[in-house]
Amino acid sequence: MNGIISIYAFDELWNLSNIVRYGLMAIQHRGFQQYIVCTYNNDIECFSSENFDDIHKHDIRNVAIAATYSEPVEEAVIVEKEGNEKIAVICERPWNKVHEFIHELINALKSNRNRVEAFKNTINSFATYSSPSLAILTNREEVVIWRGSRLTPLILGGYGFDMVIVSSESVAIDILGGDVKRFLKPGEGLYISKHMLKTLSINHTNDCGLCFFELLYLARHDAIVDGVSVYEFRKALGEELTKHLNNDVDVVVGVPETALPYAIGFANKIGKPFEMAFIATGGRRRSMLFSDPFEKIVSIHLKMNPIRSSLEGKRVVIVDDSMVTGSTMKTVSQILRFRVGVKEIHLFIASPPLIKQCPFNIMKLDMSSLLAANLSQEHAKSYLEVDSLHWLSKDDVNRVAKMFGLRFCGRCFGLELFGGEEI
Amino acid sequence: MKVFIIGSGGREHAITKLIRRSVFEPRIYVAMDYRNPGLERESVETGGKWFIVNTADPNIIARISEEISPDLIVVGPEEPQFSGVSDVLREKGFTVFGASSRCAEIEKSKVFARTLMWKYEIEGRLYFKAFRDVEEARKFIEYAGDVVIKPARQAGGKGVKVLRDTQAYLSRDRTEVKRNYVEKLFAEVSRYGDIDYKILVEQRVEGVEYTSMVITDGEYVLPLPLIQDHPHAFEFDIGPETGGMGSIQGPGWILPFVTIDEYRKTIDIVANVLNALNREVKEPYIGAFAGQMMLTGVWGPTVIEFYSRFGDPEISNLVPIVKSDFLEVLDRAAERRLAGAKIVIDEDIVTIVKAVAPAGYPDDKKLASGHPITVDENRVKELGCEVLYASVELGADGRLYTKGSRAFEIVCHGNSYKDVYTKVEKAVSQIVSLDNWPIFYRSDIGSQELLEDRVKTANRIRIVYQSRTKNGLLGKMLVWVPGEGVLNNPLIGFVR
Repeated sequence: MNGIISIYAFDELWNLSNIVRYGLMAIQHRGFQQYIVCTYNNDIECFSSENFDDIHKHDIRNVAIAATYSEPVEEAVIVEKEGNEKIAVICERPWNKVHEFIHELINALKSNRNRVEAFKNTINSFATYSSPSLAILTNREEVVIWRGSRLTPLILGGYGFDMVIVSSESVAIDILGGDVKRFLKPGEGLYISKHMLKTLSINHTNDCGLCFFELLYLARHDAIVDGVSVYEFRKALGEELTKHLNNDVDVVVGVPETALPYAIGFANKIGKPFEMAFIATGGRRRSMLFSDPFEKIVSIHLKMNPIRSSLEGKRVVIVDDSMVTGSTMKTVSQILRFRVGVKEIHLFIASPPLIKQCPFNIMKLDMSSLLAANLSQEHAKSYLEVDSLHWLSKDDVNRVAKMFGLRFCGRCFGLELFGGEEI
Repeated sequence: MKVFIIGSGGREHAITKLIRRSVFEPRIYVAMDYRNPGLERESVETGGKWFIVNTADPNIIARISEEISPDLIVVGPEEPQFSGVSDVLREKGFTVFGASSRCAEIEKSKVFARTLMWKYEIEGRLYFKAFRDVEEARKFIEYAGDVVIKPARQAGGKGVKVLRDTQAYLSRDRTEVKRNYVEKLFAEVSRYGDIDYKILVEQRVEGVEYTSMVITDGEYVLPLPLIQDHPHAFEFDIGPETGGMGSIQGPGWILPFVTIDEYRKTIDIVANVLNALNREVKEPYIGAFAGQMMLTGVWGPTVIEFYSRFGDPEISNLVPIVKSDFLEVLDRAAERRLAGAKIVIDEDIVTIVKAVAPAGYPDDKKLASGHPITVDENRVKELGCEVLYASVELGADGRLYTKGSRAFEIVCHGNSYKDVYTKVEKAVSQIVSLDNWPIFYRSDIGSQELLEDRVKTANRIRIVYQSRTKNGLLGKMLVWVPGEGVLNNPLIGFVR
């Protein structure tokens, strides 16, 4: 999973290094600790690093496409040159057609005087219902951005008369002092050059929903996704969860830091206090996005120093957004039991059981370690040492999705869509 | 009646369309800088004549006027006003609609306009600091915060740099841009020998913009309906500042995102400014006048700048809606007997205007010039819309060539924004580049999406200025400088 950001300053007075840096920091949580930047400075130049300070070693003039990413760098960015045309393409997730795409694109650019049409036609011929989003930079200082499908969002923003900012998440536009202008529609593209910005309408075969993990886990609480506030959506799922509560409880806590709004929604609904329970050490780390199991557990452990006084001897509702392998929750329950000494743990998961692989490679799930796909409810309860375990049903998610006017891909939960007509 | 129009663009074409319907059956004479086929046709069809001249040269215009001996002269654009065309014509005894050079100072000099508002304590005024000297500006800019940098002279509606600077982590980068921009702008504005101050640093505000145009004879002020222009070159309010890529109007006198109270307050501001101006220059303001307004959290209705003429493309929105005899109104204003005049408009319809420009506009006029372009005018008419010819010239070969600015304006009207939007999108596609040079327009103008966005922004802004009114903070922006006290100065940045 990557986060894409692209910045185009129409005026040459800008040095974009710092702007690219803070933009990438704003979408850092979407990828990993590594990033890639492609700029144009007489030639296309791409560099990648794990350290944001390295950005300042490069002179970024008025254009940049960039991403935070988690796969090998050669899959995140491809640069190719044929004749006079040189192109860099950043893929939001690995795409097996990317080389063929670039080849076709270069051919189209060579044979068509109208470059906007060349981009549009080539993209059109590769568009499917689940295409990844792309950011393209050419050696003529053109940028083309394409929201490949509904699965993952792209947002268009502007800064004064000076700059256009396109990002996978609205927060990058906020952080750069810009204004969010539009949530690109699935399949919608933009052509940007010094003298032009054009919307590319691409034939879009509508039917994949927005990746449910975008709202469930990936986006920041302060993000707006396709017009919907992530924070409000998470609170609503938390409220929905309370339907499954059938015990007396004392306090509600969330697994930091993604699950806090779910717990707030839950607590508000049942009128019990929401408490802070865990304090993190070090920066915010997205444990779920680590593929190395050791790194992942380190990350979990660093997030979980408990505030004992708020929980000791209490009957605790703990809310999390999702459960993949259960290792986070196992850690949490062990801390709550042995270090804090809680009376009861009632675990609420704000999504249905994860039982299938992601066919689009957005979430890299290993079937053999998916808790819900391998353990029965009873086994899971005993393994996790919780007094009760509850999930949102597909109907619950469907209801909330409809309430917010969103349609989600639900393939890893074993169904096509949430928020569609049928379930 | 003989009417002599000075000016070459879309605004003048709109004016001729508006006055042609008059019971006075005007013969239209036009002085233009290039051969605008629209204006040429209006003059030929009405039995008038057209002249290709430097329209900003008062002597040439006076000479032609003497030759034609028109009953009314309309000075359309600001540059002829600045260079004294209206003055010379009035001295020679002609009846002229168009601001004198002293009155047009309100548009030409942003320092004059701002100073006037402060002197007469007119609401909706912004903090600013003006500079004659580049050194002084350079020093100031190091400490400036959330500001806008503008040329102190009207420069074709361009040159404004809006630099939101509310985040310390990016303020050094923005200061760097401010510094460089100040240098660049000084160099550019120095071309104009007719201005004292060169640049202006102004408090940045945000909100929803709209234009309030009026016609005045120096005493009586006749308001026109509010219109919203779209200054960004590209869709969704992205990209460089232009003279305006299109405008919307209606239904009625206000816009969907402006309240009646805000409209009244706006008209008060505009009338107060005219009043102050008449006192200051001791000359009646005769002509069109407009406030480029913004609904802001600081003031509510706030003045961004003034035009000493009809807005372009704003005037084009009036073409389908004015029911009154527009020529009569202009003539009465010019003869200083506007009292009692009325403008009747069709209050049930809405209008959308879209400009079409060649790629290169607005930053590289040279690149945008000389491209053959065509419009299927019959098809546009079938759709119930009108074509206005703007920055486009009839070549010797009979083809139309771009002149570097907005080439055409398409004007459509109808019962709802939804209907008109569909129409105007079809009509715009009748304009075609003949050499494959890219042309562009803004498809978002007049769309439901953009309109809803404006309503949302205006609602947010309204909450802010209303609560600031309640707390007695309207117009104020307080800064505490320890050791100096609490100052009302929003131009200071993080680093002092």
